[in-house]
Amino acid sequence: MNHRRQAVRGLAAALAALVALTAAGCSSKAKSGDGKQTGAGGVKTGEGVTDGTISLGALTDMTGVYATLGKSVTQSQQLYVKQVNAAGGICGRKLELTVRDHGYDPQKALAAYTELEPKVVGYTQFIGSPFVAAVKQRVDAQDKGLVLPQAWSASLLGSPYIRVLGATYDVETINAVDFLLKEKGLKAGDRLGHVYFEGDYGENALKGSKYAAGKAGLTVVEQKIKPTDNDMSAQVAALKQAGVKAVVISAGPRQAASLVGVAAATGLRVPVVGNNSAFAPQLLGTQAGPALEKMYWFASPSLPIGADTPTAKKLVAEYRAAYPDDGLDNGIVAGWTAASVFGEALKKACLDKDLTREGVDRALLSLNAHDAGFGMTHDLGDPTAPSSRESVIIQPDKSVPGGMRTVRQPFVSDAAKTYTP
Amino acid sequence: MSETLRSARLRAVPTRAYAWTAAGLVLAVLPFYLDRFWLQAGLFAMAAALGALGINLLTGATGQLSMGHAFFLAVGAYGYCAFAGDGTDGLAGLGLPGWLAAVLAVALAGLAGGVFSPIAGRLRGAYLGIATLALIFIGQHVLFNAHDLTGGYNGRAVPPLTLFGLTFDDSELLVAQVPFGAVEKLWYLGLALLLGGVLFARGVLRGRPGRAMNAIRDHRIAAGVMGIPVARHRAAVFVLSSMYAGLAGVLLALVFQRTVPEYFGMALSLEYLAMIVIGGLGSVAGAVAGAVFVSLLPQLLTRYSDALPLVSAPGTGGIAPGEAARYLYGAAVVAVVLFLPGGLVRLAARTPETPKSTEPSGEAR
Amino acid sequence: MSTFAEFLINGVSLGSIYALIALGFVVIFRATEVVNFAHASLLLAGGYVTAVLHDDIGFWPALLAGVAGAALVGAAVEFLVMRRHRGGDHSVLAIVTIGVDILLATELTRRIGTDILALGDPWGDAVVTVGPVTIAETRIAALLAAALLITAFLLAFRYTSWGVAMRAAAERQETAALMGIRLGRVSLGAWAVAGGLAAVAALFLTVFPTPGLERATSLAALKAFPAAILGGLDSTTGALVGGLLVGVTESLATGYQGDLAFLGRGIGDLAPYLVMVAVLLIRPAGLFGTKEPARV
Repeated sequence: MNHRRQAVRGLAAALAALVALTAAGCSSKAKSGDGKQTGAGGVKTGEGVTDGTISLGALTDMTGVYATLGKSVTQSQQLYVKQVNAAGGICGRKLELTVRDHGYDPQKALAAYTELEPKVVGYTQFIGSPFVAAVKQRVDAQDKGLVLPQAWSASLLGSPYIRVLGATYDVETINAVDFLLKEKGLKAGDRLGHVYFEGDYGENALKGSKYAAGKAGLTVVEQKIKPTDNDMSAQVAALKQAGVKAVVISAGPRQAASLVGVAAATGLRVPVVGNNSAFAPQLLGTQAGPALEKMYWFASPSLPIGADTPTAKKLVAEYRAAYPDDGLDNGIVAGWTAASVFGEALKKACLDKDLTREGVDRALLSLNAHDAGFGMTHDLGDPTAPSSRESVIIQPDKSVPGGMRTVRQPFVSDAAKTYTP
Repeated sequence: MSETLRSARLRAVPTRAYAWTAAGLVLAVLPFYLDRFWLQAGLFAMAAALGALGINLLTGATGQLSMGHAFFLAVGAYGYCAFAGDGTDGLAGLGLPGWLAAVLAVALAGLAGGVFSPIAGRLRGAYLGIATLALIFIGQHVLFNAHDLTGGYNGRAVPPLTLFGLTFDDSELLVAQVPFGAVEKLWYLGLALLLGGVLFARGVLRGRPGRAMNAIRDHRIAAGVMGIPVARHRAAVFVLSSMYAGLAGVLLALVFQRTVPEYFGMALSLEYLAMIVIGGLGSVAGAVAGAVFVSLLPQLLTRYSDALPLVSAPGTGGIAPGEAARYLYGAAVVAVVLFLPGGLVRLAARTPETPKSTEPSGEAR
Repeated sequence: MSTFAEFLINGVSLGSIYALIALGFVVIFRATEVVNFAHASLLLAGGYVTAVLHDDIGFWPALLAGVAGAALVGAAVEFLVMRRHRGGDHSVLAIVTIGVDILLATELTRRIGTDILALGDPWGDAVVTVGPVTIAETRIAALLAAALLITAFLLAFRYTSWGVAMRAAAERQETAALMGIRLGRVSLGAWAVAGGLAAVAALFLTVFPTPGLERATSLAALKAFPAAILGGLDSTTGALVGGLLVGVTESLATGYQGDLAFLGRGIGDLAPYLVMVAVLLIRPAGLFGTKEPARV
């Protein structure tokens, strides 16, 4: 018995000693320097940048609930990278985009962030605002890489590294209500229905509609729904009962289609206006299509993909060539805008000879009039504000590429100007 | 006991002891070599293993189907935040020391299981399974709506745990030139918790309670006739299983550094069921093996998607890594039940176990 | 009052769809005592076949094809998977159906991708107005279809040899087998029938007022779980009553969420489960389920 114990102990001690030695000596994790150096062209580099490449990450959802958005955003960003590389890259280096699909699963999202973190300068895309919130602490305190989330919630504002591009949901909703007031006959004393998703998006939008309603003397009738609700009959009946004169919907495309379809069929003939995420061109092919074209509008933080700008036309042509089977939607614009903002920041950082994360962050803060080619200028100087408060109002229209026609050019309503989130 | 038998046992023990020591040492040095991604994946697997141990006691050993496991994980995770939080973020918090908060969170999860036991004790099989599904929906509703407690959709930050003067956060600690951040430190905490959890579950299963549980699973009425207090045992196992889930929840919260309501949905409950079926129902090693398999598989596929045939990078068409992981995981559940009744642990067992019953499961193929 | 009537009728029509789905659970449970968690993907399969074919062969043939397709998938699941493990623990079998569901759902969502598929039904967005209440024609069709199918099943269970065999198998598998009932055939038939029912339910779930079939459609099957349990997993009548109860509860809880705001908004999804738990506390086998005789 004693003999055996001794043997075990001896072995354990020997192994432990061996381990301690190797740990101290050969672990690649052992600390040596801060990882920053000066590379080709006298440019300071850090994580994710070598003499030949600049690595970027994209944390997307292509198999979960935001698959529609994720696919468009990712493909559009891959197209951007291809174009930049064809034109010689940035700072003499090729861009490299590593995509990780988290399927809207928090565990996979965090894992993907952790995996790419040591390898990339920053993230051109991060879908899922709860996950962005989950890594916020790490981004702010240690990692300090730029993250451009594909979510427009005001709760994401405030970090110098996590930057929201375009109007947040609350601002967008205020602008949408302004459109109803100015052009659709909504007036003080009226009731305004608001159907919204449980969660970040819907509740942030509700804040906006309540603010706008307070300014204009409207009463908001709330209807909260879940992403799994696809049939809006009960909501329409309740709104009809409440006597609403217009409806705002902050939900997904399916809910918007159901709401408008049911409202049209049951005689609730009031204008319905949605947020940017509450429309997908695929809807025009469904039974709700005609009703949508008649009584539905939505607000968007940029011109639609079918806009009449040189960038838009070029992007549409190239996207169609690269992904002939896929439809055109505003996810492409969002992806393109984010990638181009990141690219612009990299170019600026290159001029300053500093491609470290700090250098890129600094460069981004100095971008105060970036035009991504979709009618908006983005001011990234203030981390506590969205990069723009402008919205456009779009009407679904089958006859236009992407199924969207701009009915009101970029504007900021008076209420949105004075609004502080 | 005969002399030959004894000496055989003496000889067998050292080899096993060596194997365990070696495995333990390997696990102990991993934080010196692996990067954060792998350590984090390992921690997810450890937390999953703790949760799987709990549900294996309930579903595997006692035969009570539960689809509400994720709810108890949520109770553990959010309970820890509420007990340990100091209220500076505007959310309810008692500001208790971390270790006490963790203990209380586990107790709270057990209490939640106890509150549900009037239902758990009365229902069987499918009815219990779907009744526990209600817990998921109730849990999600509360997590999303009780803003002051849960922080709503964006969740709440998890206060780091401090134990014996060591804080499990990202403040750097140099050990043999290797910087230790949150995951490196938590790795050892996770190992310790898992070891404790495994030993306790083994004790339960090998002792009287374990035999009673198996009797309830296999012949409920006979067990009752033999004097086993069936309802009490079932309620007790439900509480114990909830406590395991609560502990897993606390560990997960510490790794995530933020609790998000989205995580604690039905998919998570189903994952736990898949783990124990894949690993081996009613077995401690099976729970651990299944947990490791289910939680590491998607990570491996995503990470090495470029190198794998058939699997293509996202955005290029074809099967995405996320989908491939789901195919494999679904197929694993089906295949294990069909071809490997008893789960992965049967593969590892040196001697094939003689079939205990005349179930046609094995020969049907 | 008229709003209440509208909520009620909405609830009943929605509930009839849940009843169809719940009936699928019940049929399989009666024959094999297994809860089929793969029902959601059978539903998606049926809907998908209908959606893909309706342009080429017209709506009614496409619907038939959808029913046949889903029945085939159901039968295949039984033949390839469930049969190999017959006699095993019912909990294990239930978990196997979860595995099957993951496989099928992954394949189908991959095929559907980001599309929203129309099913090409003849009703469109037509509505019928009775006094102050409007109801979609699709929902009337759903109600009629559910009533018809459920009556048919009640009769079939009672009077056909298949129904009698199924009842015998549910009562006691071994005895039934000894008496010459082919258990394999009974359970194969049950799975096929459940698949067909799921396809019909898929149709009514994806037509107006919902925009069409897409990857998340199958989530609606979750609402049929409380319906099936509420009524009693082995009761056909229970499926109907449970379905209607869930539909009405959901519709009322949603419609009056303004008055229920103290419980947190968006209670509509949760309400059916709360009703279910309350019922189970009083009647552990559901409203119409067979009470288990053994009590120790």
